[in-house]
Amino acid sequence: MNKTIRKNQIKLFLLRLLAFFIIVFLFDYSIGSLLRHFYFKQESGLQYRTTYAIEKTNADILVFGSSRANHHYRPNVFENRMKLSFYNAGRDGNFMFYHLAVLKGVLNRYSPKIVILDFVAEEFAQNQYSYDRLSSLLPYYKSHPEMRSIINLKSKYEKIKLLSQIYPYNSLMLTIAVGNSGVNKKRKSDIQGYVPITKVWNGPIQVDNISSYYQIDSIKVKAYEAFIQDCVQANVALYIVCSPYYIKSDHVDYSIILGQNIAESYGIKFIDYSKDTIFTNNSALFADVGHLNDNGAEVFSNMLIDQINTH
Amino acid sequence: MLFNSLDFLIFFIIVTTLYFVIPHNKRWILLLISSCYFYMAFVPIYILILGFTIVIDYFAGILIENSEGKRRKLFLILSLIANIGVLAVFKYHNFLNENLTFLMHGFGLSNPIPYLSIILPIGLSFYTFQAMSYTIEVYRGNQKAERHFGIFSLYIMFYPLLLAGPIERPYNLLPQLRIKQDFEYTRVVEGLRLMLWGLFKKLVIADRLAIYVNAVYNNYEAHNGTTLILASIFFTFQIYCDFSGYSDMAIGAAKVMGIKLMNNFNRPYFSRSMSEFWKRWHISLSSWFRDYVYITLGGNRVSIPRWYLNLFIVFLISGLWHGANWTYVIWGALNGFYLIFAIISQGFRNKAKRLVGLDKLPWLNNLLEVMITFALSSFAWIFFRANHVTDAFGIIKKIATSRGSLFIESPSMMIYSFLGLFILFLVEFKKEYYKGKFSFFNNEKWIIRALSCCFLIITILLFGVFDGGQFIYFQF
Repeated sequence: MNKTIRKNQIKLFLLRLLAFFIIVFLFDYSIGSLLRHFYFKQESGLQYRTTYAIEKTNADILVFGSSRANHHYRPNVFENRMKLSFYNAGRDGNFMFYHLAVLKGVLNRYSPKIVILDFVAEEFAQNQYSYDRLSSLLPYYKSHPEMRSIINLKSKYEKIKLLSQIYPYNSLMLTIAVGNSGVNKKRKSDIQGYVPITKVWNGPIQVDNISSYYQIDSIKVKAYEAFIQDCVQANVALYIVCSPYYIKSDHVDYSIILGQNIAESYGIKFIDYSKDTIFTNNSALFADVGHLNDNGAEVFSNMLIDQINTH
Repeated sequence: MLFNSLDFLIFFIIVTTLYFVIPHNKRWILLLISSCYFYMAFVPIYILILGFTIVIDYFAGILIENSEGKRRKLFLILSLIANIGVLAVFKYHNFLNENLTFLMHGFGLSNPIPYLSIILPIGLSFYTFQAMSYTIEVYRGNQKAERHFGIFSLYIMFYPLLLAGPIERPYNLLPQLRIKQDFEYTRVVEGLRLMLWGLFKKLVIADRLAIYVNAVYNNYEAHNGTTLILASIFFTFQIYCDFSGYSDMAIGAAKVMGIKLMNNFNRPYFSRSMSEFWKRWHISLSSWFRDYVYITLGGNRVSIPRWYLNLFIVFLISGLWHGANWTYVIWGALNGFYLIFAIISQGFRNKAKRLVGLDKLPWLNNLLEVMITFALSSFAWIFFRANHVTDAFGIIKKIATSRGSLFIESPSMMIYSFLGLFILFLVEFKKEYYKGKFSFFNNEKWIIRALSCCFLIITILLFGVFDGGQFIYFQF
């Protein structure tokens, strides 16, 4: 192949590549913008609740945590007894990074009076899952610069990936459609973020007598400390709570010990209900070994308020 | 460094650009260095094992070529022992030891041989087989020994095929490493398109299906037979898209640089018999076993019982090649049994077809044969995917006895799974039965080709799984 032909081929390739990228960009931008529009237009569902927590709520009491937070803290109990407004910002399958990012979003707008952080066993365990789950915050990357440093923990190329307008809404197309249709409202209603579970656990208590060894993720520990520091700086009364499990064990989880020590070093109350016999002796309060049902949530919320009031 | 990562994309762009910029006689150096870097991105120290294989087989090739008679055979055997020895230590030691312990325990004895706490070097089975292919071909006189150590090293560790094949033959790959490759627009674009299709299969189909398959198979006791059937069918497609996706990316990456690797998959789930399936599935490995084990054992030019035994041995070894676990051995044995049974029952099946009139309805006959072959391969994959042999039998028992409603954790996940499978079916069906018609990716008009590729990219962005992890076949 002579030089001129080769040069022409390279030129053709580069020109067509450029044209191809323009086509991809146009599709990506149009579809991404459409998805963004409908994402933030949702009126129900999981994503709507995250948006509401970050951008709209001005509740006096905010609860942060995973699914356990979401199903364990009953709004009417807090509102009736504490005479303060309440929103449950717990989200299924999300852990410390998510809580910190949402807190930063909230504190950017206002300071709640009380923040309750639901702490789970093995909270600091090293796993890829917690980082992967940061995908639930990708739609907020553009409009919430305060969250970016946390979202960037997802992977070293997150900034590059986010050049795509579709990427933040990856695998969300159908949930966005459902969120805009109002189906969620009919199907699974939430009460100020709280989603009650009505089923009752009939199985035996889970016995866990072997202390499992796991690596502590120092980045998660730092995120936890940052959560505490942000609350302290914003003059928010913070309570860190490990809510009940239907698990019987003769050891204390290492993350709970570490979490408690760190909280105490900042003068923050860490309340551990993980082995409370009121719960471990009563399977009727649970939906499964890791989650309280609606009745359990009522009992637990009342007990927690008693503790907070004595503080 | 995974093919489905941005690390690889950056690596690929840099290496390919440099490849076309630097003079031809320096390209092998670039490819060798980049292949080392690519391999060392996993566990750097394991480059030494790769180096050991290269040195052994480089000298073995020359010694075999320079010798005659028994000495020639001796050098071949020594090189094979060295290669299989590496495999035995790193891949099979703990498996064999575990079984030895079990056996000795039965006689009330304890096993003094310690277990090795080692991670299996990535791509070990692939590059070892490629290296053995070289020495065997030199021994057979089909291949001249390669004197250029750099080129020979590149033959073993050319990065597109280093981790999971295709397992190349020296007569196909070695000459190509010396030929000057110019930048050819059509070839480069075809290579990139193949890479994109492979990426689509991996991210949109394989990794999506893996979510359901893992959820069900890792907790099979909690699921009913209906769910296990769906999970097993999903796994049948998952493993195909995972592995053929990787192969497409490997073949595409090499093609961009002008190197044509052998085809590894040819729409296997359209096979009408298990023997056809094995001509379409993991072709580079199947043909390796055919060329170097089956034919060496005598192939079909022996007595009928011996022929059956040859077939069975080949599949048993093939199973063991995949992993040091009884699940793989049973998977291999089951495939061997399928083939032998197909040969034995050929006459009876033909009679039965004539009796019910299937011979007059070729389309129905074809459809039934494709469906039966698919069902047989799906059934065998249960053993391949199950975590333990007992799990596999537990799953089969549940499939046979327990019915109930389908486990659907997330309806959207299920819809995305079927969407990916639907696109795969359309593309493969068109390729299988309408070759040359309704062409999108090879359309005459550039804009149609560009829009087709754009569709794949947008679908990947919309429905791809970006945290799916590595390829299944990397573990072998």
